[in-house]
Amino acid sequence: MRENYILGIIPENWRLEITRHPRVRAIFKSRWMPLSLLILNLFMFTVILMAGFFGGLSAGNYNFGIMIVWIVWWVVLMMVLVPFLSRFWCTMCPLPLFGEWLQRLKIFGVRPGHKMFGLNKRWPRSLSNMWLMNVLFLATTFTTGFITTRPVATFILMALIILTAIVLSMIYRQRAFCLYVCPVSGFQGLYANFATVEVRVKDPDICAKHKTKGCVVGNEQGFGCPWMLLPYKLTRNTYCGMCFECLKTCEYDNMAINIRAPGADLLVDQKRGLDESWKAFLMLGVAMMFFLVMQGPWGVLKDWANGKTLAGWLSFVAMHAGFNFAVLPAIFLGFTWAGHRLARAPGISLKKSFINYSYSMVPLGLAAWIAFSFGILLPNGSYVLHILSDPFSWGWDLFGTAHFPWTPVLTATMPYLQIASLLIGLLFSLDFTLKLGRQTYGKGETAVWASLPVMGFLTLATIVILWLFIG
Amino acid sequence: MRRNEALAVILTLLATVGTVVGALWYEHHRNETMQVVELLANSPLNGNWSPAALEVARGKPVRLKIRNRETVAHGFSLPDFNVGVTEIKPGQVFVVEFTPDRTGSFPFYCTVWCSREHMAMTGRIVVRGPLAQAAHAQ
Repeated sequence: MRENYILGIIPENWRLEITRHPRVRAIFKSRWMPLSLLILNLFMFTVILMAGFFGGLSAGNYNFGIMIVWIVWWVVLMMVLVPFLSRFWCTMCPLPLFGEWLQRLKIFGVRPGHKMFGLNKRWPRSLSNMWLMNVLFLATTFTTGFITTRPVATFILMALIILTAIVLSMIYRQRAFCLYVCPVSGFQGLYANFATVEVRVKDPDICAKHKTKGCVVGNEQGFGCPWMLLPYKLTRNTYCGMCFECLKTCEYDNMAINIRAPGADLLVDQKRGLDESWKAFLMLGVAMMFFLVMQGPWGVLKDWANGKTLAGWLSFVAMHAGFNFAVLPAIFLGFTWAGHRLARAPGISLKKSFINYSYSMVPLGLAAWIAFSFGILLPNGSYVLHILSDPFSWGWDLFGTAHFPWTPVLTATMPYLQIASLLIGLLFSLDFTLKLGRQTYGKGETAVWASLPVMGFLTLATIVILWLFIG
Repeated sequence: MRRNEALAVILTLLATVGTVVGALWYEHHRNETMQVVELLANSPLNGNWSPAALEVARGKPVRLKIRNRETVAHGFSLPDFNVGVTEIKPGQVFVVEFTPDRTGSFPFYCTVWCSREHMAMTGRIVVRGPLAQAAHAQ
């Protein structure tokens, strides 16, 4: 297989710039982008919050908030946005919006030269990583039995996130909440490395000669990068929230939106760390646990997660946290250690090997979530027609679909779609394992020996997930 | 730029405050000419129909919102007024409308086998005449 090709087909460095078309570039340079999407989403979230508040403790399948957030949004996020459009959800996410508008004291315009409103403190260095997001994401999944079934729980979660974002934006500078706190941000960042879209500099030489750096400090056209990045040095999607401010502020139109090969950023050896590794474990493990709890045949697990008894819920929390935070990483460490021994490469640390190889789980993890999403979408998608017509369960029938019966769609094909997703994910994962092995251990047989046990782990994980999904 | 800022503020207010006010106004407007009553469908061990007895006035249309908060299906039958719902699925809110044309106390039932205590899942609708309703209100 050709080394510099993803799956031997797509060159790693292949790029197609979509912003080279003047009309496309004009859209992204306009300040209505992404503001128009954000306002549209504000409307959606207002309805979601109202539906959650008025829905109370009812079962959630006929509730607009539950359906839109945990069926439509989650499925679209995992099946379309993250794998193809990187962090495009962050582009239009309304949750940190009020905090950001308060900082800017503007909704549409720019205030060049003005200090942001608020205390503008630096985010603590010790928390400038994904650990807090890992913990908060896992903690959120502890409540899955409530937030995906009880409208008022979704309301409380959303309200808490919005309030936290506002408070933090008044204390810390820029998008500290999105970068270091938001439970959804971390996995989007990690999985965005696999995405087929990126924001990048076109010609680094132009940036090297440019002294004013509007993309960092801002100018009349836009704000300096709210995600506190140096856009002219951007090499990975992980922390780029795709706000497109850099496309607006660049005086040379030297920023571009590119379509690229999937997974290109997984091979960028910069800022890799254990925090991101654990995010990869969490995502793979949570996908497996969610299936066990939500779609599996074990009713006792569902009762535990739903909190029928406190002891049951605590058992779920202990099992869930233990598996994702300790057991899965420990198993992976065992396989990495075996590869490390087989490779006999004394100059390379086991930690380096462990971190690098952990990125090979990204395609498989994403595939597991896509497979899981089929299990949500196909049986439950028809509820959406009902809740669009009667969003607050007040007996409305806005579009004449309020009495559309629950109709599972294509459920007979679901196992095949899940198998196909997982096998494609495994293929990508195996390909990246070898590439990461060569990056870590150099070209030649050593990398192959080191990679073999990791490939074994990934294959084993796929078999386990397949067994879970299709029995 | 200033015009765009104003437009953005207006659109934001419409998307948020406008949505809340609009939805509440529309619901209020819909219910103006009706007697709106919400009925929670709970299995007998979880509290049974709530409220167990509904009171409405004769001659004025009733909009009955039956909300099933449980994870089992329920049904609804009010035979004296020929009103029924075959199945109210978990989480579903079913709206039935009827006009009570005579006074009295009328039983309603769950018509889906929801639990071992299903047969005990009954309630009553009390229809009062306009005068009795006024006196009762006083």
